[in-house]
Amino acid sequence: MTEPDTIFKLSDLRRTYTVGSEQVNALDGVDLTIEDREFIAVIGSSGSGKSTLMHLLGFMDSPTAGRMEFEGKDVTRINGAARADLRASRIGFVFQSFNLLPRLSVLDNVLLPLTYSRSRVANQLELGMAALERVGMEHRYAHTPSQLSGGERQRVAIARALINQPRLILADEPTGNLDSKNRGRIMELFASLLEEGITLALVTHDHEVAGYAGRRIRMQDGKIVEDSKA
Amino acid sequence: MNLVGDIYTGCSNGLREIWANKVRSILSMSGIILGVAALVSMVGIVQGMLGNMRASFEQGGGILKLEVHPTEAPEAQQHIAGISPGMTWRDVVAIQRAIPLAGYTTPIVDMRYERFIAHGQRAGALLHGVTPDLIDIGTRELEYGRFVADLDIAQKSPVMVIGTHLRDKLFPDLDSAVGRQVRLRGQVYTIVGQLAEIKPMPGARSRYNWQNRYNYIPATTAMSRYQGTDAVNQIHVLADHVDDLPDLIEQLENTLTRTHRGIQDFEVRTQEERLNELKKLENSFTYSLGGIAGISLLVGGIGIMNVMLASVSERIREIGVRKAIGARSHDIFIQFLAEAIVISVLGGLIGLVASVGFLSVARDLIPQGSSISLLPVSAMFYGFIFSNAIGLLSGIYPAMRAARLDPIEALRYE
Repeated sequence: MTEPDTIFKLSDLRRTYTVGSEQVNALDGVDLTIEDREFIAVIGSSGSGKSTLMHLLGFMDSPTAGRMEFEGKDVTRINGAARADLRASRIGFVFQSFNLLPRLSVLDNVLLPLTYSRSRVANQLELGMAALERVGMEHRYAHTPSQLSGGERQRVAIARALINQPRLILADEPTGNLDSKNRGRIMELFASLLEEGITLALVTHDHEVAGYAGRRIRMQDGKIVEDSKA
Repeated sequence: MNLVGDIYTGCSNGLREIWANKVRSILSMSGIILGVAALVSMVGIVQGMLGNMRASFEQGGGILKLEVHPTEAPEAQQHIAGISPGMTWRDVVAIQRAIPLAGYTTPIVDMRYERFIAHGQRAGALLHGVTPDLIDIGTRELEYGRFVADLDIAQKSPVMVIGTHLRDKLFPDLDSAVGRQVRLRGQVYTIVGQLAEIKPMPGARSRYNWQNRYNYIPATTAMSRYQGTDAVNQIHVLADHVDDLPDLIEQLENTLTRTHRGIQDFEVRTQEERLNELKKLENSFTYSLGGIAGISLLVGGIGIMNVMLASVSERIREIGVRKAIGARSHDIFIQFLAEAIVISVLGGLIGLVASVGFLSVARDLIPQGSSISLLPVSAMFYGFIFSNAIGLLSGIYPAMRAARLDPIEALRYE
């Protein structure tokens, strides 16, 4: 299957919230193209619109105005179920606080997205174990998240993001809760995913982390103010 | 898309949640458990008790029996009421001759409480003068000997058919008192038959059963020896078929009006009134108990809703995660609904098991409780269905709240 090289094409994208009686332009006319196998770091102070951008890229939210294309198709006005389908099949999420479900085992956490995938997967357990092997966590598959360290939890979360073989992994401050040693490991893991054809976009405050990325986007007041490739 | 798969996943997730929160789940189930157990056991007990009442109704001849009782003549006939001979043996004969629809006919010459003597033993019991048809009208069975016969009626024989009460009092050592003699007001009677005992229900507190205290002599004997007139207290008539009843009643009224010279100083009582009373009683029991059980199930449903709402707000973040990794709103809806349904189904099943326990205790505690069924199938069926419906209904609102959560807000929730 050949996939289009351009993953996302955003033109004059806007997202406006109403807080009380005030209009907040969280995204104020963003033009952005994300190509296949890019590693993008989105940086900017809090309130700059980087989380809003991530939510839109992750199909968690829809834009107020502008145009949004995903793999060549217009996805500006798709409904909630269609967005859920895209989240399930094309996008992997990694969160700052890992967001593993505490009652499920490591393996069940990794397998959770398959519950919501529209195509039935036959060899779920093998897939799950393969994903855990990919992040070096296969030996702890039966543990619960509370028995793992922060770095281990984030690796499990990455395995969960990988299970559906997504096109794009979005990570929101993935190393924010980790010490420097684990931070390095996780970033190396991310970098290695790139070679497997996965595109990455991560939000970070940390310049060291942003240094791993091939492309840096700086945001301010809902606009992209800098877009540089290393 | 794949509803069966969704439901399967929902139920297995639901079971996992219930297992993970055992105490909370059992507390939320308890309303349903008690509701179902209360519904099923109450209906079971009431059905058992009403079954007893029905059985005794059937024992007395059931719906087919008509009773003719003397009454005051109506106002308009008061001044000529004296011309009526009242209820007499002639009425019995007239019914037997003129009304083929009357399958069996017997007068009751009620001698009330009499003192019986044998071997110097004395015992009090009830005595009726009757004809052979009596044994066919009720469901009493003869254990030994024979009942009053036509020849006894014709010859006014001094014979007696006794119940087990009198046998126990006068002939405590004997199984059958047939052939023995009994003195009644100084006259000697030969016992020719003995009725089968109507057994007290096992587990009943008292062995008392009034039917065993009845004893019978030929109606003609009673009239000629003690009464000196041919008056009778009641006439019982058994129809062959329910459809005959309206005609039979009319014919009885016509015939007796003639024998009573036009005076309406009698009434034909049907058992329908008693049956209607019985049915009314059944209905009022069913509705009031159903109402009580319905309310307790409703309370159970509110409990489930409460727990599900708590569970939703406890797991807002989880809902956010699930949505972020691809769950649609309806996946979340089904997950939480399935949890509520699993709680109510499990609660309903436990309630059914508990009801069997309650009913077996009730059987021992309640007099004449042996007719209580341990498995009132229809009550169990409806109780179970109703509890599941309640679980379904009470799960909808919390599940909707969960499904409507915005994933971004939900993920931010601390």
